[in-house]
Amino acid sequence: MTRETLVNLVILAALIGTALVAQALGEGFVVTLATKAAIFALAGVGLNLALGFGGMVSLGHAAFFGIGGYVCAILASHAASGQPVAVLPFTIAGTNEMPAIWPVAMAVSGLAAGLIGALSLRTTGVYFIMVTLAFAQMIYYFAVSWPRYGGDDGLSFYVRNSFPGLNTFDPIQYFAICATLLVLALGVCALILRARFGLALEGARQNPARAQALGIRPYGLRLTAFVLSGMIVGLAGALYADLNRFVSPAMLSWHMSGEIMVFVILGGVGRLCGPVAGAAIYILLEHLLGGVSDYWQVLLGLLLLGIVLFAPGGLVGLIAPRRRHV
Amino acid sequence: MSEPILELRDLRKRFGALVATDGVSLTLRPGEIHALIGPNGAGKSTLIKQILGEIRPDAGTIRFEGQAIDGLDVPARARLGLARSFQVSSVVPGFSVLQNVVLAVAGASGRIYQFHRPALRDPALVEPAVFHIRHAGLAGREGVLASDLSHGERRKLEIAMALALRPRAFLLDEPMAGMGLEGARQLTAILSDLRAEAPILLVEHDMDAVFALADRISVLVYGRIIATGTVAEIRADPEVRRSYLGEDAP
Ligand SMILES: Nc1ncnc2c1ncn2[C@@H]1O[C@H](COP(=O)(O)OP(=O)(O)OP(=O)(O)O)[C@@H](O)[C@H]1O
Ligand SMILES: [Mg+2]
Repeated sequence: MTRETLVNLVILAALIGTALVAQALGEGFVVTLATKAAIFALAGVGLNLALGFGGMVSLGHAAFFGIGGYVCAILASHAASGQPVAVLPFTIAGTNEMPAIWPVAMAVSGLAAGLIGALSLRTTGVYFIMVTLAFAQMIYYFAVSWPRYGGDDGLSFYVRNSFPGLNTFDPIQYFAICATLLVLALGVCALILRARFGLALEGARQNPARAQALGIRPYGLRLTAFVLSGMIVGLAGALYADLNRFVSPAMLSWHMSGEIMVFVILGGVGRLCGPVAGAAIYILLEHLLGGVSDYWQVLLGLLLLGIVLFAPGGLVGLIAPRRRHV
Repeated sequence: MSEPILELRDLRKRFGALVATDGVSLTLRPGEIHALIGPNGAGKSTLIKQILGEIRPDAGTIRFEGQAIDGLDVPARARLGLARSFQVSSVVPGFSVLQNVVLAVAGASGRIYQFHRPALRDPALVEPAVFHIRHAGLAGREGVLASDLSHGERRKLEIAMALALRPRAFLLDEPMAGMGLEGARQLTAILSDLRAEAPILLVEHDMDAVFALADRISVLVYGRIIATGTVAEIRADPEVRRSYLGEDAP
């Protein structure tokens, strides 16, 4: 087992352990915080696939987070009202079953990622950042000005969606759902990154000219990674909507994109469990310092600055530096 | 005479007012090393890049194994078996030697959209990769990070990656550049063997290597081929001596 694998296991154990201990102590609020961390971590893991492994600096991933959230909220609100979501070309009914909501959230955000990625990936560098940001902003303003689903005010649904055999209202059970999906997503990422696809994606990131000379087209690889990334972030968005039983355009705003990026950078760009550590620390700081002072973000900024300047591998990189021999 | 593997016909390329390729016609025949020599800025790298598809010529055609490849992009030409080394060596720095060559084998296979089987545990990738690493003289260095290799070793890694493409032709742009005397000698031996795999179009300033290796030499000056011939013919050619080798060349 490599040192990084060990660190990854410790990070996951810490997150899950925190929730379990809080549950044992009757601290339901802390369990909810851990759930929020797990969901943000999932979003970070999704972004890391594009940013860390694919080298695509997207400032538009809030689009997928928000789309996942809105899919969840829209389906839930239709399930509550009994009206179908659409009747043409065929009837789509609302649902409050998570196992039905998740695939839809992932499909819709994956589709959006496919469209946004196909266009954005024709640019590189700072243009790519700007184009992804622009697409996300378009979706943001669309949500703001679409009164059907709450517009600026957002959309509430009063009952958390259900999962067969579980009581999703129980904080620890909802945490279990989110943590399981996080671990699954990490497993899927670990698998594909070790496979030919991941090798080619990483190779094309580090040296695109060389990859092409070996018969590999970076565009298709990147687009695929971008879509997978969008789907994972969309799933996180759906879970976040269920956590709050509320969605609003804030989920789609560029602040959200920046926040997800902060999780990745704090924890370690291109490190499998980096975003988990990053999201957990973010939530921890917000909780500990947010109450003390509204200026806690200044501290976060300093921490980020320190990481970027002195530990570009993030926290995971600090604890488990890359070995020189593989 | 056998059919050429690679055939350039009247290739032309301008950069603004600069004519980098001025009606170049050239063939690469099976089993030969065809050296392309000429002064700095003559347009050698530009010519190689047009063959690889990195730069589009303004006019002229390129045929590879009897097929016009003008419409194909870089990856498509690579998969046909056009293997290259870069003038400034180009590998994946964060990958080990083995990972680099496994990537090359995977790229050549055209099947990179596999999502579950670990690439480094796939014998279909690793076995040929190890074979090519040995062939290129890097046995025992499989686990070393490419960025930790010496300059000469990185050159050899490029050769190993080129071999992994199951090449039908090698296009090598100054493979000896920056190599010490001993390194150049080793590489000369490796290139001489490589000829058995596929013919080589060799751009090189190291005249000892060129004269030792080349079956034919073409001399490029200001984008134009001024002479093509055997080593003896080129060494004797008065115009080549004047424009490139220098009057007092041996
Ligand atoms: N993309 C480009 N745009 C404009 N001019 C270029 C470009 N690439 C090359 N040139 C010019 O074309 C000419 C030929 O360049 P090239 O790199 O092909 O020469 P070379 O024969 O490989 O030289 P060297 O021996 O120094 O490698 C040079 O004058 C160079 O400045
Ligand atoms: Mg050159």
